[in-house]
Amino acid sequence: MSLLFKGRAQGAESVKIGFFQLIIMFFTDHLRQAVNSLGELWRSPFASLMTIGVLAFSITLPSTLYVLVKNTEQISQQWEQASEISLFLREDVTEASAQQLLTRLRLWPEIADVVYISSDSALEEFQTLSGLGDALNYLEKNPLPVVVLVAPTSKYASPTAAGILLDKLRKEREVEVGKLDIEWLERLYALIGIAKDLVTLLAVLLFFAVVLIIGNTIRLNILNKRDEIVVMKLVGATDAFIQRPFLYTGFWFGFLGGIMAWVTVLIILLWVDYSLQDFMEKYQVDFDLTDMGLSTLLGMLIVSVTLGITGSLLSVQRHVKDIEPR
Amino acid sequence: MIKFEQVSKTYPGGQQALRKVDFHVEQGEMAFLTGHSGAGKSTLLKLISIMERPTVGRVLINGHDLSAIKRRQIAYIRRDIGMIFQGHHLLMDKTVFDNVSLPLVIEGHTRKNIAKRVDAALEMVGLRDKAKNLPIMLSGGEQQRVGIARAVVNRPPLLLADEPTGNLDPKLSMEIIRLFEDFNQAGVSVFIATHDLGLIARMKYRTLTLKNGQMITDGLSEQSDEGLYV
Repeated sequence: MSLLFKGRAQGAESVKIGFFQLIIMFFTDHLRQAVNSLGELWRSPFASLMTIGVLAFSITLPSTLYVLVKNTEQISQQWEQASEISLFLREDVTEASAQQLLTRLRLWPEIADVVYISSDSALEEFQTLSGLGDALNYLEKNPLPVVVLVAPTSKYASPTAAGILLDKLRKEREVEVGKLDIEWLERLYALIGIAKDLVTLLAVLLFFAVVLIIGNTIRLNILNKRDEIVVMKLVGATDAFIQRPFLYTGFWFGFLGGIMAWVTVLIILLWVDYSLQDFMEKYQVDFDLTDMGLSTLLGMLIVSVTLGITGSLLSVQRHVKDIEPR
Repeated sequence: MIKFEQVSKTYPGGQQALRKVDFHVEQGEMAFLTGHSGAGKSTLLKLISIMERPTVGRVLINGHDLSAIKRRQIAYIRRDIGMIFQGHHLLMDKTVFDNVSLPLVIEGHTRKNIAKRVDAALEMVGLRDKAKNLPIMLSGGEQQRVGIARAVVNRPPLLLADEPTGNLDPKLSMEIIRLFEDFNQAGVSVFIATHDLGLIARMKYRTLTLKNGQMITDGLSEQSDEGLYV
């Protein structure tokens, strides 16, 4: 409805248009503008590619680090599952009472498996592994204690549960020392935690930079179209109408940047995976770096499109308003 | 249709463009606004299209006080006013059709309706066969007529023209004025700012004359005394 002239219809009101036709028009209009904005990017491929590249690489860095940290975390979890408790028995414990202890321990619900290592076999193993060889033969008697390796069930394999089990085992008469080597794992956890925080910080900083860069690019686009915007305002275009193509440009920056980032991350991870394969086989762990499926792509696209639109939104709200016909 | 009540405009910096201007152009009227360059013609037109706001006084269109119009509503006001500029303000990288259709696209008309109306508007200004051309391929007079087609394509009740014959020869200028007369006869109020006194002198239309921001004459063109500002 016209503000000044009663009864003068403006735009779509002037012709009878059905509700559904209006909806269809809305979507075709938006689609047309989206395609137009894409065409605009296509017409200046070099400049567009630079902006898309900035966005892509800014997302690539934190994404790659994130995948690496996440995988390290998974590996450490695998190690943790294999956590073992070593029980060093008293020197005066006889072979028979040691076997008795083993039989008792096997009945514990927390324990999956128990392995007995006699002091002789322990010495033998030590001899081959340490490289001291015959030097050990000069020892008067075997200084090594009997060792019982206790593997907790998976339910009791977490650091805290295993710690409780260890305390319980220490109370056994035959046990001199019990050791659960989990401290290094906890330290690794702390390190991973720090790494995670750093990745987050890096991501936030880079995303912030991306928003500013997109905002500046859109600002230049707006200034380049200054004359056109003035004309549009003179013939009655609202700010929202003028803003729309720029918002779509931001959307495309984000969308294309996201896809480019996904491809880059994939290439980097394939390369890292290849060079890590040897290492992985030695440690018998599953390091699935190439798990960059549809959901990851979707997540990265959502992030990059959000960044693109945010950047352009900040820019259009400021600069489209500033351009007024004089 | 256009009513000024004791309107003064002082630009930041102290330059006084208009002083206590009072006039009323009736609905369906065709009137000229004239005066030296710098007399305040452009400022007066800018106050109507809300490119500027008056410092003192009221500007009314169809009885509505423009001071009540908020910034966000200005776009809708401009859809009611067909504006024609000396520098014609065409988009040089768009075809004549795209230029003329712009107001309709902005208002959200259907494609079919846009094609129909643009065709009619171009027919009126005699450029129907140039729809697919770029403005750069047209002559100055033709470009001006594209601007006029764009101004009338959404059938506004009011037409404003700022030096529409600015750099055209007398014959072309007359053609343009005849176009405005056609629109006026169709019921559109027309308000034309020009310093082309020869053009006005040949017609009997109401002429408002500005000098140093003041309205010095208001009457039929034959009565206006050219000596006043020559």
